[in-house]
Amino acid sequence: MATEDNNADRPESPQTNFLWRYVFSADHKTMGLNYLWLALFSVFLGMAVSLLMRIHQVWPAVQLPLLSSLGNSLERFAALTTLHGSLMVFLVLTAAPQAGFGNYFLPLQIGAREMAFPTLNLLAFWATAASLLGLTATFLVPSHAAITLWIFSVALFCAASLGNALNFSVTTIDLRAKGMTLPRLPLTVWAWFINAILGMLIFSILLAACVCLLSDRLLGTHFFPLLNFIANQPAGAMGNGALVLWQRLFWFFAQAEVYVAMLPCFGVVTHLVSTFSRKPVWKERLVVLALCGVGVFGFCVWGEHMFSSGMNPFSPLVFALLASSLGVPATILLVSWIGTIWGARVQLNTAMLFALGFISLFLSGGLSGIFLARHDLAAAVVSDDFVTGHFHLVMGVAATFAIIGALFFWFPKMFGRRLNETLGKIHFWLTFLGVYCVFMPMHWLGLIAHSRVFPGIEIASIAAGAAMRNFITIAILLTVSAQGLFLANFLLSLFRGEKVLEYNPWRATTLEWSVSSPPPVDDFGAIDPVVYRGAYEFSLPDVAEDFVPQHIAPEEVDKGSPVRRMRFGK
Amino acid sequence: MPGTTATPEIEIIAEDIGGGGGGPLPPPGGGDDGDGGDDDSHRRRNWSATPKRYSTAIAIGLVSILMFFMALASAFIVLRSGSSVWVTVHLPAVVWLNTAILLGSSFTLEAARRRLAIADVRGFRKFWMVTTVLGFLFVAGQLVAWRQLVAQGVYIASNQASSFFYIFTGAHAVHLLGGVCALVYVMGRKFRETNITRTMAAEVASYYWHFMDGLWIFLLAVLYLGK
Repeated sequence: MATEDNNADRPESPQTNFLWRYVFSADHKTMGLNYLWLALFSVFLGMAVSLLMRIHQVWPAVQLPLLSSLGNSLERFAALTTLHGSLMVFLVLTAAPQAGFGNYFLPLQIGAREMAFPTLNLLAFWATAASLLGLTATFLVPSHAAITLWIFSVALFCAASLGNALNFSVTTIDLRAKGMTLPRLPLTVWAWFINAILGMLIFSILLAACVCLLSDRLLGTHFFPLLNFIANQPAGAMGNGALVLWQRLFWFFAQAEVYVAMLPCFGVVTHLVSTFSRKPVWKERLVVLALCGVGVFGFCVWGEHMFSSGMNPFSPLVFALLASSLGVPATILLVSWIGTIWGARVQLNTAMLFALGFISLFLSGGLSGIFLARHDLAAAVVSDDFVTGHFHLVMGVAATFAIIGALFFWFPKMFGRRLNETLGKIHFWLTFLGVYCVFMPMHWLGLIAHSRVFPGIEIASIAAGAAMRNFITIAILLTVSAQGLFLANFLLSLFRGEKVLEYNPWRATTLEWSVSSPPPVDDFGAIDPVVYRGAYEFSLPDVAEDFVPQHIAPEEVDKGSPVRRMRFGK
Repeated sequence: MPGTTATPEIEIIAEDIGGGGGGPLPPPGGGDDGDGGDDDSHRRRNWSATPKRYSTAIAIGLVSILMFFMALASAFIVLRSGSSVWVTVHLPAVVWLNTAILLGSSFTLEAARRRLAIADVRGFRKFWMVTTVLGFLFVAGQLVAWRQLVAQGVYIASNQASSFFYIFTGAHAVHLLGGVCALVYVMGRKFRETNITRTMAAEVASYYWHFMDGLWIFLLAVLYLGK
């Protein structure tokens, strides 16, 4: 009976063609996978681009495929930087953890059979795909048209994200299964939900900014006056506000965007840490509050900008305070993770390793963030390399670790096969050491750049800097080639991986593990799921198994072993 | 067995994308009965998310739309307060007439909903139609305002104030046209074989409409006070 619902192995009937099943299907699982494919493509393209940039920086004479053929100009280099940044931030960090895993698992985890608005979901996905096409195409068209195209693609991405955020928030509010009260929501769902609300607020700001910018470029409006326009005005006529308006509007979005990328990762990591420590999340309620706190503070960091449009001397102070206060929820999360692991018999599989890697990277990246949050320190100590090292470590790499951890965790559910653990662990260690070798020296470079004010140190530091740059580039080369291992593992496991026949290979508690792998088309089969307990009931006293899934009724717990009781099995 | 379960799956997918135009659609529940295997698929076809989701969506969506216009308004305030060479754009008189039309449409909308509540479908249709026409009139009136400005030689690229006037009115008109589409949809759709009633749909549309009304008052106030 159970295998019958396994639709992946069903032979294709003539009517079930590729187009209907994958392109126009609004099923939330197909949607989620499609987002993940987009992200996979973008992450490898983005990584290749960063490699090109790095090699060009250190060995400018080397002939490189894209840069050299297009004339090696500064403009091409800037275009590469833009391509790398927009692919990674929008298509990978924003789309994969939220739209990718969220679309697939949010309905499953709350016991819904579909997202609230499947058609909207489908539209949002294709808008995202179109924006990926646009963002990538910017590299190939002349720069004036490219900038317009870029802005248009970003606006399209904003619209898609708004549609997604609406879908996520409404689904979480209205489509929860019977018994799935708010305190029983898995923390992944909390994170997706809070993130969706945050996204609703900030993506419309970026959309408005993009609309203004596009109308400046296409209709000749004056929202963001060019410098020569300002120069033609009488002295002092244009306020300071005019000059920084774009920066304001953009940073309203961009500062919060960091948390949009991080929030779902917090959710996933908390989930993984609890599942593989076989312990409930330590201070679960507080973690929910901390997630809300990240959302609220992340939103206010720019909200502060909005009210201090003048040159208020106190505004940097308020800004610094708010930015530093983000440390409070971050610390709560960190303490909860450590508290959960404390004294636990941790199962060190690849998913858990990546979750632990996330914690380590988040901690080291976050510490350097304290320097940046203090405006006085930031001005004195920090240069570009420091900032680059900081945000790559905390936002880029840490989030990627959470995404890969989530992939190892949910791969059996999505594809009915396991990723290879040995390859996964080798990949983890190579990447973990690799990213530290890349980004830690970058912090150092940033500090050295400022030490030049002292006479005598200058020459030594330049020599050290050059050696360090070479070291970084070689480390990047090695780290990127280690990702080949991941790609190989992914593709091999997709087709040849060890089959997962049981529903719940990780012995996890949430609802997605109560159905077959991959889940049936209608998610829960004939019986609507009912939830009886919280999401993290691990190692309870007087229970035979060390976990109790959410769909197990209280009277069912002691009878027999809960593992065997599956929703579908008869 | 696998063959029989595959057919309803197609229906589900085609149904979800709304149109389902070219999809193969065998009559539901017609041929494949008596087979235990397709129980689940029938179940899924009958399962549909609670209609409450529409009012939740409109509430959250409105916050998002508000943020969009707040960003525009804050850009206006920042640029206006910092500039001493602000060229004033005098609002065309027809704008006030448009405002009165839009305000009036909110009242006729409520009148229509009251008729619907007492099951007076004809009265509902009449007032709903009046609201829709008023909506169109408003958008037409805004176009007249644009024409009047153009006649005075004030174009979107003329100065910052004119840029804001055109962007505010344009963005609002686009959103309002969405509302007009919703009004037409609520009246035109036959609410059979669905778990949404016309009353619910009218309620959701009315939230959006009143919000657009209030939003216009706000934008007008910003433009008027900041000139």
